[in-house]
Amino acid sequence: MKLGVVKAYLKKEFIDLWRSKMIVMIYLIPMMVVILFGYGIRMEVTHSRTVIIDRDNTKMSQEIIRAFSTTKYFDTVVLNITDSEAIRRIKQNKTDLFIIIPHNFEKNLLHSRNAEVAVYIDGSFPLRATTLEGYVQGVFLNQLEKNGVKVPFEINQRNFFNESMRDENGIIPGLIGLTMLIAPAIIAALLIVKEKEAGTIFNFYSSPVSKTEFLIAKLTPPFIMHSLNTFILFLIAVYIFKVPFKGSFLLYFLATEIYIIISIGIGLLVSIITSRQVTALVLTIIITVIPGFLYSGILMPISSMTGESYIEAHLFPVMYYNHLLYDAFLINQGFNSPKNVEYFLILIFYALTLLFIGSLLLKKELK
Amino acid sequence: MKKFLAVFKKEILVFLRNVGLVFILIYAFTFDIYVAGKGIEVKPRNVSVGYVNYSGELLPQKILAHLHAPEFQKPKRFLNEKELKKAVFNKEIMVGIIFDKDFEKNFIQKRAAKLNVIIDSTAAAQAEVSVQYLTQTIYSMIDGKMPVDIKVYKLFNPNSNSKWFMSLSELLSVTTMLSLVLIAVVFVREKEAGTWDIMLLMPANGALIMFAKVFSQIFIITVGLVMGIGLILFGVFGVPINGNLFYFFLLTFFFIMAMGGIALVIAAYSNSVLEVSQYTVLVVMPLLFLSGAWTPIHSMAPWLQKLSVISPVKYYIEGAQSIFFRGTEFIDLLPYFTGEIIIGAVLFYLGYRRMGKLF
Repeated sequence: MKLGVVKAYLKKEFIDLWRSKMIVMIYLIPMMVVILFGYGIRMEVTHSRTVIIDRDNTKMSQEIIRAFSTTKYFDTVVLNITDSEAIRRIKQNKTDLFIIIPHNFEKNLLHSRNAEVAVYIDGSFPLRATTLEGYVQGVFLNQLEKNGVKVPFEINQRNFFNESMRDENGIIPGLIGLTMLIAPAIIAALLIVKEKEAGTIFNFYSSPVSKTEFLIAKLTPPFIMHSLNTFILFLIAVYIFKVPFKGSFLLYFLATEIYIIISIGIGLLVSIITSRQVTALVLTIIITVIPGFLYSGILMPISSMTGESYIEAHLFPVMYYNHLLYDAFLINQGFNSPKNVEYFLILIFYALTLLFIGSLLLKKELK
Repeated sequence: MKKFLAVFKKEILVFLRNVGLVFILIYAFTFDIYVAGKGIEVKPRNVSVGYVNYSGELLPQKILAHLHAPEFQKPKRFLNEKELKKAVFNKEIMVGIIFDKDFEKNFIQKRAAKLNVIIDSTAAAQAEVSVQYLTQTIYSMIDGKMPVDIKVYKLFNPNSNSKWFMSLSELLSVTTMLSLVLIAVVFVREKEAGTWDIMLLMPANGALIMFAKVFSQIFIITVGLVMGIGLILFGVFGVPINGNLFYFFLLTFFFIMAMGGIALVIAAYSNSVLEVSQYTVLVVMPLLFLSGAWTPIHSMAPWLQKLSVISPVKYYIEGAQSIFFRGTEFIDLLPYFTGEIIIGAVLFYLGYRRMGKLF
């Protein structure tokens, strides 16, 4: 390996990147993803359009209606319509749920006869429906408690890591993990495949540049540029979304740098098996986005996975990085926890393996 | 018409010869949707539970026995609070229950028994729902003491089968992305390969070439959609179709025309497939996220809600969900069609004008 060659090649790559305006994309796209999705993805359901059909019209039913209209979860309207009209409203997507308080509700309740309420929820989005079901039951239970109905248990809930139960605290670090998996991979893959498609890869085939030199020159620019993203995304998380940062910045920084190398390694592998930029792009997106989402722990905690998905989660590097990422943001165990150290080493192992396989498979000749 | 068909046929052939692209289309419309439907379980299931018991055996065991599949895993016993906390910190346990010393005694003596629950609330909504499950389970255990019977009916998907929703969502996302990429690439490829001038020399006018190219891609995407819906949605997941499938394809057509308009603008401005990809990502992300596919539009910030009115994807996704799940009649689907057609016409006209300058 000759340093002079690497230096010259690197310079060429940087100039190339600068001229192709790709440099804007390298910073713009990850920022946009985190900001847009950060504002856009909400797992909690608020302001669901609720219709209450009050056929009882008593003090109790009024109180329940008031309870519903004071929470942020429901935007309540009281309407006097028939069941089928209400269902039509759901079909028109004008209403998310409706609650029917039947005639004699208060009377039945006070005489401890079986009092019933019917709740109809639009189930097309199952998570939304399940969440709403829980909220509705919560409001009713609360209301009963206030009216002196005895509760046999008191649940003393302590929230760890995300004490204030803000959605953003979980989602934003997850998004950083997702972008750091996708973006470097795309750039790395495209930088190599671009040469293949334009035919300029023959410069590499025919010149005395060695494989190592080529790889260093090709992969260093995306690595350095995305390293800066580590800071940008951190600042967005902490200052725009006010995600608490309780842990060590060093852990966050090191883990992210290694993760970028992993991502670049994935891009390298993609660039070897593809010869068209579209194919490379779509392939990279497909193989990074899905595991990136699935095994991030946002959608489903790893501890809840069983069978194949549990094994798959452990096969992809996503899970290990996200564990460290959440530790840095919310948990603060740092390198004191053996599990973190273990995961950190696993990440290093992934990075080295991917780069090694990539450089083995890269051919310096026509196929 | 003959010329139109000739260009149309040529584009289909070019597509079929690009094995990689064919493979990606098939992959995206089958396997990708399968994985998304199968793998992503949005409601909490199989939540890992750990417990420490300082109290008597009887009542805690009774409670724990009620925490079962599919919502909860078999509770794991820990010797002391420290061990349990360590497991929570290592993310091995999501919900930890601590039975205090006088828990059982208090319950029997009808004093308020306090149940300590620690929960990993990194994913806030999930944690919230898990605690609700726990509460519900305990309440159902002491059934009969509940004075109100809350009967919940979940319409259209009574068992909350998230596979239906996830697979349809993924199908629509794939359609969105591919319609942008394919239509833009079909133009840019000519630029990049240097065959643009040859294309201009064809004995056909610009508008005809443009329409033939766009329609050839619409055809390809429709084939993919039929494949995805037939094999994966209906075949594997048994997604119900409560409305009319014909309306869905009609809506899809208008939607792809709208996306085609955006794709034409992208194609006009980019000189390489690489640039197409970057612009596509820039456009697709906000479009998908403003669509309400993942987050209910009503839970978004008000300024975003206003912005989503001009998103073609919003009408498409809401319309498609209404057709598949809500079984909405045509008259109530009209808002979606109107929105889609107006936005589609505007976007396609803009794209057509921008692209037309290059002919």
